[in-house]
Amino acid sequence: MISHEIELKLQACLDGELSSDETRAIEELLARDAGARSLFEELRATRTLLAGGELEVKLPETGEFYWSKIRRQIELEDRRSPSINAPEPVSAWWVRFVTPAGALAALALFVVVALKHSEPPEPILALDDSHEIETPLEETSSFSFRSEAAAMTVVWVDSHRE
Amino acid sequence: MKRLVPFWQLALAATAVLIFYSCVLRSAPADLMLQAQLVWGTNNDKPDDPKLKDVDQKVKDKLRGVFKWKNYFEVNRQDFTLTASAPRKVKMSDLCEIEVQNLGNSSVELKLYGKGKMVVRKTQRIKSGELLVLAGDDKNDTAWFVVLSLVEK
Repeated sequence: MISHEIELKLQACLDGELSSDETRAIEELLARDAGARSLFEELRATRTLLAGGELEVKLPETGEFYWSKIRRQIELEDRRSPSINAPEPVSAWWVRFVTPAGALAALALFVVVALKHSEPPEPILALDDSHEIETPLEETSSFSFRSEAAAMTVVWVDSHRE
Repeated sequence: MKRLVPFWQLALAATAVLIFYSCVLRSAPADLMLQAQLVWGTNNDKPDDPKLKDVDQKVKDKLRGVFKWKNYFEVNRQDFTLTASAPRKVKMSDLCEIEVQNLGNSSVELKLYGKGKMVVRKTQRIKSGELLVLAGDDKNDTAWFVVLSLVEK
């Protein structure tokens, strides 16, 4: 029974990835173990079959030039999109400040204007506001007038006294 | 350096405080310091009555500028604070009484009572330096005036 580790060693030997000492040890194993030898031959036959059926892709240019193009493309992409750790541009700070500050100022202005307009407007003309007068007694009457010069509003009560 | 509180949260909090403060200011009418004067107007000289006092020159000038009478004498004067909680009755003479209510936003409702009956009711915004006058004629070609004004601080 061949262990999984030996199987990997056989494959690595076939691929030429072992050191000289390890290669020698594997050769000794193959000489004395028929199972290992059988597996090794099977792996080698499979490798031969795969290598024969694999399409060979040829680069239009040399490998060095091909990879250098990829490297330049990566560098170009890096320059276009700043990395996360890159320092923030100067404009970002004041934009972050001005945007909410502007919104706050606009809101405060809206509140102030709304409050101001919610108060009764100042009279442009000295109009009589006698509708706010009530004279419940039948024997009396009243009228109102305003003197802008004296800054005085007068309600004159007439008791119809003879 | 990382800020402890983001600016937009501060702005939001400040706005909320501003709106709340504005609402509180509008919902709570301020107390009014008022002065009510009962004035008698006549073209005659001052009678020999110790209760009668000369009216303030400023008020006298205003009354003279509007009415026909030359002399104005103060019968009674009452200074009082008008809160928003309840209307206030102020007795000006044995027969005359006023009731004033703070409506907020510097507006007042002034009621005049004569012999216990309401004679007239008037709603008016009252500002510093302005006079609200209820007036009527009296016997012997004289007149009475109830002058309501804000007390100058």
